[in-house]
Amino acid sequence: MKKIVTEAKLLLIGIPVAIWTLLPIYNLFIFSISTKNEAFSGKLWPDHPTLRNFEIVFREEHHFLGHFWRQLGNSLVIAIAVGLLTLLVATTAAFAISRLKVRGGRVVLNCALLTYFIPAAFLAVPMYKAMGTYGLLNNQWSLILAMVTIASPYAIWVLKQASDKLPFELDEAARIDGASPLQLFRLVYLPLMAPSLVAVGVYALLLAWNEYLYAFLLLSNERDLTLGVALGLFLSADDSPWELLMTTGLLYALPPAAIYYVFKRYMQSGLTAGAVKA
Amino acid sequence: MASVSFHNVEKAFGATKVIHGISFDIRDGEFMVLVGPSGCGKSTLLRMLAGLEEITAGTVAIDGRPVNDVDSKDRDIAMVFQSYALYPHMSVRDNMGFSLRLRKAAKSEIDARVARAAKILNLEPYLGRYPRELSGGQRQRVAMGRAIVRDPKVFLFDEPLSNLDAKLRVQMRSEIKALHQRLKTTTVYVTHDQIEAMTMADRIVVMHDGIVEQIGTPLELYDRPENLFVAQFIGSPAMNIVQGTLRRANGTAHVETPDGIRWPLGHGAGADGQAVSYGVRPDHLELAANQPHTVPAEVIVVEPTGSETELVVRIGDAQMIVETHGRPKLAPGDRVTFLVEPGNVHLFDQQTGQRLSA
Repeated sequence: MKKIVTEAKLLLIGIPVAIWTLLPIYNLFIFSISTKNEAFSGKLWPDHPTLRNFEIVFREEHHFLGHFWRQLGNSLVIAIAVGLLTLLVATTAAFAISRLKVRGGRVVLNCALLTYFIPAAFLAVPMYKAMGTYGLLNNQWSLILAMVTIASPYAIWVLKQASDKLPFELDEAARIDGASPLQLFRLVYLPLMAPSLVAVGVYALLLAWNEYLYAFLLLSNERDLTLGVALGLFLSADDSPWELLMTTGLLYALPPAAIYYVFKRYMQSGLTAGAVKA
Repeated sequence: MASVSFHNVEKAFGATKVIHGISFDIRDGEFMVLVGPSGCGKSTLLRMLAGLEEITAGTVAIDGRPVNDVDSKDRDIAMVFQSYALYPHMSVRDNMGFSLRLRKAAKSEIDARVARAAKILNLEPYLGRYPRELSGGQRQRVAMGRAIVRDPKVFLFDEPLSNLDAKLRVQMRSEIKALHQRLKTTTVYVTHDQIEAMTMADRIVVMHDGIVEQIGTPLELYDRPENLFVAQFIGSPAMNIVQGTLRRANGTAHVETPDGIRWPLGHGAGADGQAVSYGVRPDHLELAANQPHTVPAEVIVVEPTGSETELVVRIGDAQMIVETHGRPKLAPGDRVTFLVEPGNVHLFDQQTGQRLSA
């Protein structure tokens, strides 16, 4: 009886949350299979569902969609680059601070955390100026570097915490076995950190994928834009093609969902079970 | 195989000095146990030998070559950790072969040496398993396997049995000892358990508060403890100690405690009237009546263990443990007398705690 009550309570919370989350996605989906005329009719299901919108998007048949494939590619390349670069920076930093215990490691860590007191939007203009000084404006590297800068402190913090949980005896055992710091990093540290690395990499990747402000500021050439910014451009017209905007939006939302499902199983912890007696 | 020597070794963590100038030598092939209560510095000393801790002062040498500035990996030592420290993402085979792989040994050689070590340790069926799939005792064996695959100059064990249950501990104790007798590799073994130390060691170093209290074979430490600390630390149950005054008259001697009991004594050292600690081991108090050298006692608790019976008795004001063989018919409240063989007692200066040697 008690169990039923508990489950009822959970459902009472769960159902509204599910509706709240799914409603916009449903809306997105309905728009994407409706014709322009039917899109705003307010019906729960269109009278004449069509895949024509997807065809237009895939064939770049609308002037807002002139670079759809290229922009999708930009988003992918930038997101993956940000994910990998953030991992490189954060993993080496976390290893140095947590395992090699380099002097001043704590200071670096606290500084990294301190950067979160400043909202990213606050730094947009200085970042724009800095990228201008480096001559990187309108170059995708500017966005990649900016996003790595924003993602790294949190990534370092998370990986440092995860590193601390690895038993230190493993390092000592490896040192006695004859491992250099680099071998320790490659052969012992990285394999054991894999779940955290996947989680942090996906975090950085999605952060870059979803970024609008910096992408909008740092890139202006239409061919260099990310898809997220390109979506925003739809609204610059008086008569926006909403059904195409929603269709593109739906497509834009798919890769993160796919990434999440692919990597979910790698993010489980418990890989260190059996290393030392708990 | 190699000898190891510590010469005036000191260790400080910041301003806190934890090891105060320790010197001793370990002979080639010897099984040396460092024993002492927690915090005595035994693990730190071992870690200094392993190269995991800086040596603040003094010299640590392996085979006569100082290794203070030599990296762990170049000291040719292997270590078994209390927590086993197996690499969780590697199979038993890879765990054992890891050090050889780092040394760029040929695959065939690695396989051969791992197979040989696995055979010695009965690990052959488990070579493909991961540490998480092994029991505590098996993990312990893998940790040892990882050490012997290397065929190092010195084995280091840091409380390797503390995480095992009591039965397995006894079993692994004899396995390690048998392994040493087979391989004859110089071994330094750290434990806080004096029974482990007594049963396994060729020689024992008893440490306390960062100094060496005594070095000797297990029976030397048991029979002739140099000071009160060693007397109380070595032996289980612990030695009974009473405080009293040494009395000498007419060529005989005894120790008198304030409660009026006269404890028999042989011809030992010490002056009449000197304040002393008088120690007698539980198995050196013998139930006997109508003999010289006896003391009166009252039985408080009787604890039969089968082959032996442990008694808690009150002698004068002191409470003592007595170990008797067999099964005496005694009950709490019984009044008995115990024979104390004067040759079996230990006398220490009360001030310094040092043995008053005979």
